Amino acid sequence: MKMNLDDPKLTAYALGELDEPERSTIAHAVAESAEAQRLVDEIRELAGALKNEFATELEKEKPALAGSHSAGATRSLTDIRDDPWFWLIARPLAIAAGLALLAVVSGVAVFSLRHENVRIAHGERIGLPLVRPKPADVQAEFLPTEAALATPTSAYAGGGVERFRGIREPSGEFNTAAYNHIAENPFLGAKDNPLSTFSIDVDTASYSNVRRFINEGSLPPKDAVRLEEMINYFTYDYAQPSDGKPFAVHLDVTGCPWEASHRLVRIGLKGQEIATDKRGPSNLVFLLDVSGSMMPPERLPLVKQAMRLLVEKLTENDRVAIVVYAGASGLALPSTTGDRKEQIVEALENLQAGGSTNGAEGIQLAYKTAADNFIRGGVNRVILATDGDFNVGVASQGDLIRLIEDKAKSGVFLSVLGVGTDNLKDSTMQQLADKGNGNYAYLDSLDEARKVLVQQMNGTLVTIAKDVKIQVEFNPARVASYRLIGYEKRMLRKEDFNNDKVDAGEIGAGHMVTALYEVVPVGAVINPAASGPPVDPLKYSSNDKSTSPRSTSSNEMLTVKLRYKKPDGDKSELVERAVTDTGGKFENASVDLKFAAAVAEFGMILRDSDYKGNGTFAAVLEWAEEGKGSDANGYRAGFIELVRKAQALKRG
Amino acid sequence: MRNEKIEPGQNVEEVLQRFEIPLLQYAARITGDRERARDVVQETFIKFHRNGALSREGETATWLFTVCRNGALNVCRKERRMMYLDEEVIEARESEQPMPFDQLEQREAAGFLLRIVAALPARQQEVVQLKFQNDLSYQQIAEIMKTSANNVGVLLHTALKTLRERYGQLAGDFIPFKPRNTE
Repeated sequence: MKMNLDDPKLTAYALGELDEPERSTIAHAVAESAEAQRLVDEIRELAGALKNEFATELEKEKPALAGSHSAGATRSLTDIRDDPWFWLIARPLAIAAGLALLAVVSGVAVFSLRHENVRIAHGERIGLPLVRPKPADVQAEFLPTEAALATPTSAYAGGGVERFRGIREPSGEFNTAAYNHIAENPFLGAKDNPLSTFSIDVDTASYSNVRRFINEGSLPPKDAVRLEEMINYFTYDYAQPSDGKPFAVHLDVTGCPWEASHRLVRIGLKGQEIATDKRGPSNLVFLLDVSGSMMPPERLPLVKQAMRLLVEKLTENDRVAIVVYAGASGLALPSTTGDRKEQIVEALENLQAGGSTNGAEGIQLAYKTAADNFIRGGVNRVILATDGDFNVGVASQGDLIRLIEDKAKSGVFLSVLGVGTDNLKDSTMQQLADKGNGNYAYLDSLDEARKVLVQQMNGTLVTIAKDVKIQVEFNPARVASYRLIGYEKRMLRKEDFNNDKVDAGEIGAGHMVTALYEVVPVGAVINPAASGPPVDPLKYSSNDKSTSPRSTSSNEMLTVKLRYKKPDGDKSELVERAVTDTGGKFENASVDLKFAAAVAEFGMILRDSDYKGNGTFAAVLEWAEEGKGSDANGYRAGFIELVRKAQALKRG
Repeated sequence: MRNEKIEPGQNVEEVLQRFEIPLLQYAARITGDRERARDVVQETFIKFHRNGALSREGETATWLFTVCRNGALNVCRKERRMMYLDEEVIEARESEQPMPFDQLEQREAAGFLLRIVAALPARQQEVVQLKFQNDLSYQQIAEIMKTSANNVGVLLHTALKTLRERYGQLAGDFIPFKPRNTE
């Protein structure tokens, strides 16, 4: 079917308003037309932005009304309803107060375009760009309806909350919210779902962002906590590959510390390290956001310091260019060899924050500069540093992502460095890095900059394998059900594993990737609270026969398959490893595994996950202490400190 | 909010807390006047309270928004407010008043989209508000606005198209992407 792009049905489809079979018909037509798909994406982005703004508008009126509601609550509701004064006096007062506040604070032009436009425009020019939502507001913005529905009697409100969550589900692709909602991976039965497929992820931004929240005295919003990024923030002592492959695969099984009857499986990848002097020549383009919002010391000044650290490590074989973007974008430093450090540093020092953001144009210029100075066989990378207020229109954010995706194919990769205390577009940054064959780190301090740009410089800069996918096949004879911890945004369909056209994550030199599965072994005492309600046995398909004849008699617990491509390759290669559970106990697990389990559980507690089991902050501390190891860089000690702070915040 | 039936004995205070602000903003959009909006919403809740024992059939949200809308339209008729009755006037006003977006910071400011929404024809504004502020279905919106779900679909489609284009135009000066033309 040829899709008419101006068909209202397309809008209805994008908003999840169509019923079957119409929905399927349109879905198919959309799948066949890139143009229609783009349009659907745009409509969803716009819808997300509208929902956010309308929700913010509601939030702004709430505080003024809240007072009157609590005052009313001291009287019996029946009395209030029967009392005409309530309707004649109390309510109008509350409403008037609410509206007065709205008029003063928000200046939203719902009331009268005629009189208020000019005044509003002035008010906002002076005030609003400085008034950014604080973390607490971000959370409120994310689920505004939940707060609005939170009434003391629950029959009505409770249903409402659930339904609002439900309605949001089909529109889960909206990427305008500060933190994209994460629905945690559930337990899946190994008989019905023997395959678990996902893309690797080496991003670490979530941990430093969470750390920043806690250090500032508040627990992070749930959806800022991405478990895989927390776990992968830390380095583990995995042996390097010895077989000439770009990375080594390590598998362990141990007891699950937060649920005694479960097992914990760790998959660890370690990328081949490359000595600094063996690194190919680098062609780097710093793309720096110098808009007004970058002025505070922990933003542009921190970025400048971070870049200086990196520049110190460069040699005459490397090239650096600096592109800035604000109201207008431009080349602050044409591509310059790495030995002319003074010139590079001077250009960095001369940058001043001011003006507003024009990210898209800057990105174009940066990629063009990188292409003009392309080093065949070397490192070609754009390093974007921004506070995340990446200003592209709702109508063109999709275009920006596609631009980056397109450029990544040319061999120029992307690193995204987030800074700032209100990194609202966390999801955008993550997505940009993802599509740009890149990585995303959040710089909350100069120490973090040193970690990302100096200690792990080669991992950040040199990609050794791309489109790395993992598929785990569970043996239903050994495994009743399993759950992948984290990686929710990285899940792939089982068909995608062998499809080389499907994009996946990159791994850099020396990078480590860790994935944990919580496994319910066959014969374990099922604790429904920990593993979810059981699924009824199938009526029509025989559930008794194992789907994979090879595995019936095998003692193996699972097989891990990996696919990856060489950085400049198009065809993937396959690596396969199986593991048998020898019944090891958590007490005897390696320090690394103990530590990774502690980080995972910490994240799950922060997320208030359904799967956190019986873990507590105290238990996390205990496991982390046992798993601290030599901790040469002090990151694990930092984690322990962070858990203590979170514990204190929770109490307080 | 979908499919919530008015239950016997449903607590008026709960409904008030849940719907008061959304209704106020809805009424304010139609009447263009916050004082009138306040009156309309108050009247709506009094009706809800009185009729609570009678109307068990409809859904709460649909019922409230319908009554609120009728009240707001009555105010417009009584006071001969032009805003809602004559869409031509609105279109004209829109072209007289270019949006004050000379400053790029405007786009970073909250409420940017809502200001573009406020320049849409009235019925489109209404649909957009009911859909994106109140998460109502096409069918519910159709009931409230006494039209067909099909027509709601067309209104919303047209509104979103205009919003995307207008946003693109405003952004056009400094974003190297052309707004997409869906024709």
